[in-house]
Amino acid sequence: MTAPPIDRDGPSLARRRELLRFFVGMGISGPAAALLAENAHAAAPPAGTPIPPLTAFVPNWPDHVEIWRQLTQAWAPLGIQLEIRQGTLDTWVAQVVAEHKTPHLTSMSWGGAPDRLDPDYFLSEFFLGRRADVNGTLNYGRYHSAAFDAPCEAQRAEMDPVKRQALVREAQARIAEDIPSMFLLHKDIIQAYNKKNFDGMTPIFGNGIGAPYMPMAFMGINPLTPRKFIKISNIYDIASLNPFLTPEVYNSGIMRLMYPTFVTRDAKTDLMPWALESWSVVDPTTVDIVLRPGTTFHDGHPATVEDVKFTFDFILKWKFPALSRVTDSVASAEITGDHTVRLKLKAPYAPFVANVLGYAFLAPKHIWEAVPANLASPADWPNDHPVGSGPWKFVSWRKSEFLQFEANKDFFMKPKMDGMVFLPVPAVESMIGMFERGDIDMVAWGMDVPLATRVEKNPDLQSVRTPTHGMHEIRFNMAMAPCDNPAFRKAMQHATDRQKLLDVIFAGAGVASHGAPITPALTFWANPDIKMPEPSIDMARAVLKDAGFGWDGNGQLLMPAA
Amino acid sequence: MIFWRYLARRTVHTAVTLLLLLIFMFTLFRLIPGDPTTLMLGSGELPLEAQQRLRALWGLDQPQWRQFIDYAWNLMQGNLGMSFYFRRPVLEVVRPMLENTLLLMTPVVVLAISIGIAGGTWLGWRRGGRAEEIGALLVLIPRALPVFWIGIILLALFAYQLRWFPIAGMRETFFFPANAWQALPGYDVASHLVLPVITGVLVTMADPLMIQRTALLEVRGEDFMVLARARGLSDRAQRRLARRNAILPVLTYSAIMVGFAFGGQVLLEVVFNWPGIGRMMVESITQRDYPVAQATFFLMAVAVVFMNLVVDLAYGWLDPRIRYE
Repeated sequence: MTAPPIDRDGPSLARRRELLRFFVGMGISGPAAALLAENAHAAAPPAGTPIPPLTAFVPNWPDHVEIWRQLTQAWAPLGIQLEIRQGTLDTWVAQVVAEHKTPHLTSMSWGGAPDRLDPDYFLSEFFLGRRADVNGTLNYGRYHSAAFDAPCEAQRAEMDPVKRQALVREAQARIAEDIPSMFLLHKDIIQAYNKKNFDGMTPIFGNGIGAPYMPMAFMGINPLTPRKFIKISNIYDIASLNPFLTPEVYNSGIMRLMYPTFVTRDAKTDLMPWALESWSVVDPTTVDIVLRPGTTFHDGHPATVEDVKFTFDFILKWKFPALSRVTDSVASAEITGDHTVRLKLKAPYAPFVANVLGYAFLAPKHIWEAVPANLASPADWPNDHPVGSGPWKFVSWRKSEFLQFEANKDFFMKPKMDGMVFLPVPAVESMIGMFERGDIDMVAWGMDVPLATRVEKNPDLQSVRTPTHGMHEIRFNMAMAPCDNPAFRKAMQHATDRQKLLDVIFAGAGVASHGAPITPALTFWANPDIKMPEPSIDMARAVLKDAGFGWDGNGQLLMPAA
Repeated sequence: MIFWRYLARRTVHTAVTLLLLLIFMFTLFRLIPGDPTTLMLGSGELPLEAQQRLRALWGLDQPQWRQFIDYAWNLMQGNLGMSFYFRRPVLEVVRPMLENTLLLMTPVVVLAISIGIAGGTWLGWRRGGRAEEIGALLVLIPRALPVFWIGIILLALFAYQLRWFPIAGMRETFFFPANAWQALPGYDVASHLVLPVITGVLVTMADPLMIQRTALLEVRGEDFMVLARARGLSDRAQRRLARRNAILPVLTYSAIMVGFAFGGQVLLEVVFNWPGIGRMMVESITQRDYPVAQATFFLMAVAVVFMNLVVDLAYGWLDPRIRYE
C-alpha cells in the first residue's frame, strides 16, 4: 500500500482556485469563501511576537460547533484566540483530506465502522509518516515520526496477536507522547426501538442495534405481534444494489445482508465464521478458508468452492476500487479441497481476517460471469435483482422510499422475523414523529440524550445506549507554528477538559478519551499505561512557560523568545 | 409571416441561451472543490490508490475540455450521461423523482395560481376597504414564514396530534385499507399529498395574488372600465371584465412558476420526506454527481425558458393589441 506523492491537479487546480476567487469576489458563491484556506505552511510568527488567532476548520455539526465554543472559552485564559470556520462534510473533505489544506486545527468525528475495531486503522491511516505528504490520505495533520512508524509498520505485518499487541501498544505510547492529535471522547450510540412490537435487540459495540454491517444485530430480533417484519429507519438510503460498486459504509453494509461476508463479528465483536465454516492461518502469507457446507444462493443454486474461488478471481481481475482491500492483500486463490480454498497473500497483513475476510463477500459465479461484457466494469451493472446467500433476501427497493428484505430460512442461522424494511427519512424530526406514532419500529440513526429521554416518555419505546470505538478528535497541523511545538500541544492537552466536554455537550453519555487513538474499552489493544492528561489551566500555563512562551501586558500569548 | 419570423428568432435565442447555460453549469459544478470520488476518500472507505483508479475508470482524470466535449456529444444524441453516484443512466435516476415532484407541484401550482387570480381580483375590487387590509395581511403572513416552519407546524398539529394525515413520505410501505373509503385507488398517496400541498400553496399563492391585485387596480382606472360602469354593467360583469384584462402579468409569473416547479421545492421535500427532484438536486451537489446536477438544473432551466416562450407567443393571442416585432 505504498503511494507516490501525486500532484493531483497541478496547475489546473490553481487556475480553478483563481476562478473561484473571482466568483467569490463577485459575491456569487459566498459560502465558498471558507474553502480559500491559507497555505498549510504559513510562515511562523517571529520569536517573541504575539500569536495571531489560531484557525480551526470544523464540520458544521452541532456537537462540533459546541465543542469549539467550549474550547474558545477554555483556552482564552492562556491568551489564545480561535477563529472557527465551519463547513459541510463535503467541503471539509475536499479541503482537509483531498488537498491537505489543514489550518492550525481541525476536528472530526469517526464512526465505529467494523474495520476500525482492528487497531491498524486509527494508527496507520492517521499517522504513518509515509502518508503525511500525500494529498488524499487521512494523515492530514502531517505527522512524521520514525519512532512511531517502526512499531506501526511492524504491527501491520505481525500475524501473532500477542506479539502484535505489544507493538500496537508501543505505537500508541508514541502518539500519546507526541500528541499529533487530541482524542477527546467516545460518544455512546443512542438508538431506540418499539418494545411492544419487537424484543431481542443485540447492541453491538461501536455499531448499536441497527447498523446493517453488523448482521448479528438482527439475528435475535423477535416479533411480538402478528406483523413479523420490522421497519427500521435511518437518514440514509442506498445508491446501488451492486455489491462490487460502493465502498460507502451504509450501502456496503446493506449489500452484505444479502451477500454474506466470509467472516463476521459476534455480539461481543469477536470474529466468527459467516459464509465460511472455518478459517485457519497456515503461515503468515497463507490462509485456508472452508466454505460452510449446505449453503445455497437465494435462487436455489448450491454454493460451492467454485463460487469462492470465482469471487476472489473476479475481484482480482476487475480490481474493483470498492474492494481494494482484497486486491491489495490477496495474490491468488486455489481450490484445495471439496470445501477449501487456499488464499496466498502478497505480504503478511495482520488485519487480514478481520478486514478482508470480514469485508469481502461470497458472490454467485453463475450470475456474475454472465454480466454483459459491454460495460466498462461489472460494478456498473445495475444488479436489479440481487442474488446472494445471506440471511436476508432482496424483495424490492424504491429509491428514497423503502428497501425491503425477506428472511432466508435456508441460512444456517435462521432469522426470527419474516423480513426487514429500511426506510430512509432524512429529516430527523419526521423520523422521531413516525417512531412515536408507531409508523416505524426502530430509530437506527444516533440520537442525543434529550431526544432519547423524550422518546421514552412513550411507554412502548425503549432507548439503547451502546459504547463505541468511534471518536471525536482534534488534529494539529504539525507543520504550522505554534502547533509544531510539542510543548504547545502538551499545554493544549491540559487546557482541554475531556470529561467536561462529554458532560456538557453529550450529557455524559460516553467515555472520555485517555489521549490514545484506541478506546480503553478495547482492552486487548488499548495501552493501559496511557492515562488521561490532567485538565488544569495552571499546568498548561506552566508547560508553556517552561518552553519559553510568554505573555504580553494584555495576557496575549507570545512565541518563545529566540 | 411576422409571427413565424418572430418564432424563428425566439427559437434561436432560446437555443443559444440553453447552450450558454450548459457551458456555465458544466463549469460551475466543477469549480466546487472535490470530485465524485472525494467524499469516499474522506470517510476513509476508499484508499488513495483505489480512488485514483476510480477517477481513471470514470474519466475524471481527463482534461476538463475533453470531458465537456464528451458530455456535449452525448447530450446531442439525447444521452444525459451516467450518474457517478448511482452508476445508472441519468434519465433512469431522475425520471421517477421528477414524476414524484410533478405529482406534488401540479396541485400546488394550479391551486396557487387559481387562488391567486380569484383572490387578487377579490382584494383589488375591494381596494381601500377593511376586507382588503385583512385579506392582504392573511396572504402575506405565510409568504413571509419559512416553508419548513409552516410544514412542521402543520405536521405537529394535523399529523402528530390529530393524526388525520400521515407524517412523511409519499405512501405507506405496506398499506392495509381499514375501510372502503381507504381502499379507493389513490387514497394512500392522496392522504400523503394533503399537508405538503397545503404548505406549498400557502407559501406560493401570495405572489400571483398580489400581482393580480396590482394589475387589477391599474385596469380599474382605464377608460373602458369607466365606460362599462356608464353602460350600467353589473358589478359582477365589471369585475369579470377587469379580471380578464388584468391577467397578463400573472400569466407571465405563472409561466416562471411552472418552470421552477420542475425543480421541486427542496425544503418542502425534506420536511415531508417527499422523494422528489429538489432533494436529488441538493444531494447531487453534495455528492459532486455532476451529470445528475447538470441534468436536474438543465431540466428546470429548459422548463423556465420554454414556458417563457409559450407565454410570449400566447400574449398576442390573449391581447390582440400586442404585435410580434
